[in-house]
Amino acid sequence: MGIGKAIVITSGKGGVGKTTTTANIGTGLAMHGYNVVVVDTDIGLRNLDVVMGLENRIVYDIVDVVDGNCRLKQGLIRDKRFDGLYLLPAAQTKDKTAIKPEQMVELVSKLKEEFDYIIIDSPAGIEQGFKNSIAGADEAYIVTTPEISAVRDADRVIGLLEAYGISNPKLIINRIRYDMVKRGDMMNVEDIVDILAIDLLGIIPDDEAIVISTNKGEPVVAEEKPLSAKAYRNICNRILGKEVELLDLENNEGKLSKILKLLFSK
Amino acid sequence: MREGLVSFKGINGGIYINIKDGEFNTILKELENKLEKSIDFFKDAKIIGIKGDSITKEEKNELLNVIKYKYELNITEDLESHFKEDIFEGIEEGMTRFINSTIRSGQVVEYEGNIVIIGDVNPGALIKARGNIVILGSLKGVAHAGVDGNTQAFIAAYDLRPTQLRIGSIISRKPDGNMDFIGIPEVARVYNKEIIIEPYLPRK
Repeated sequence: MGIGKAIVITSGKGGVGKTTTTANIGTGLAMHGYNVVVVDTDIGLRNLDVVMGLENRIVYDIVDVVDGNCRLKQGLIRDKRFDGLYLLPAAQTKDKTAIKPEQMVELVSKLKEEFDYIIIDSPAGIEQGFKNSIAGADEAYIVTTPEISAVRDADRVIGLLEAYGISNPKLIINRIRYDMVKRGDMMNVEDIVDILAIDLLGIIPDDEAIVISTNKGEPVVAEEKPLSAKAYRNICNRILGKEVELLDLENNEGKLSKILKLLFSK
Repeated sequence: MREGLVSFKGINGGIYINIKDGEFNTILKELENKLEKSIDFFKDAKIIGIKGDSITKEEKNELLNVIKYKYELNITEDLESHFKEDIFEGIEEGMTRFINSTIRSGQVVEYEGNIVIIGDVNPGALIKARGNIVILGSLKGVAHAGVDGNTQAFIAAYDLRPTQLRIGSIISRKPDGNMDFIGIPEVARVYNKEIIIEPYLPRK
């Protein structure tokens, strides 16, 4: 029996990178040799399978498993690249009411017998889908972007999590653009942490490599070069209890912008 | 107690007993209750077998023995052959549904015969037919032809790039990575328990 820790990735707001974060953290932990399952609870609008590049392997889904139409093992899809990494996909032709929170609790406790980490991708919103996604979770990671609207929603979700008994969630700030932060056009990390007052798990720069890897169906974390990949690897190391410094975005700008800066500073 | 685990269904030539997933003792009790209630009816009926995906062979045999020896009913156990007859036979000529629209993600089209779609089938959509499936657009979702086990059924599309193809109980999936439209209409059929895709206008 493994570590058996269930972590929900949530945000309130849509489009901030929950699914990308779930895929990358799941893959990143599997790269360390852990048994990991990523669970998509966004029933009706599933995406995690596409980001993981496993859509073509789906036969059964989470609703089939919960309803007993198939065994749990039949519903789990093995990753195409990493041993020990599995996906439990959402159903596409049903809606959020197809599952109840109690059923999620039971499902997650079964998954805990097999896996070290259960990473649960939450849907946007705070309705039933959200309640399902947090029902079996031990911990929560909140994803936000440096926009007031996303931070506002994150704050709301942190409050809801507390009400449901999940305290001390951790924060991931996604899609930071250092150039904009420096000009004062974007909220910086300190501002956001100040407002939300929770522990920071990591920051992720806005990166083209994410778009490319998402379209390819291969989470970026396994690539060597992209800065975003490094950021996700750092997050995984922190989850595993190692101390890793925050990415220094200033010294990691592209070469081109450095050359431009030199030219213009003269 | 949960009721409705045991039901009696009529098909041509007799009655079969359908068992849903549940605790075996509950199933046994429900079966006995139902048999006792209308024992006269069952004495004259032809019971042809037991169907249920979740019960084991031993459990099935136990139920058969109860029916045969405790209630002394006739049971012929030729259920398999009855179900073979039950396969949709209209793949040469038969019931067909025509659909004039794009089938989008999350939508399911199901029909008891053949399906013709004049439009595209997008990723995340599901088409299920007891017979053949013909798509006069691009198939990028999942298509399941011959759903009740008919491996003679085919799936044809103007642009065949499905996420998954299923014919009868045979499944094949798209290769990983992106595929481009090859510009040739294709048809998928089962040969030797494998789904094979080939152009249906080979000279073009």
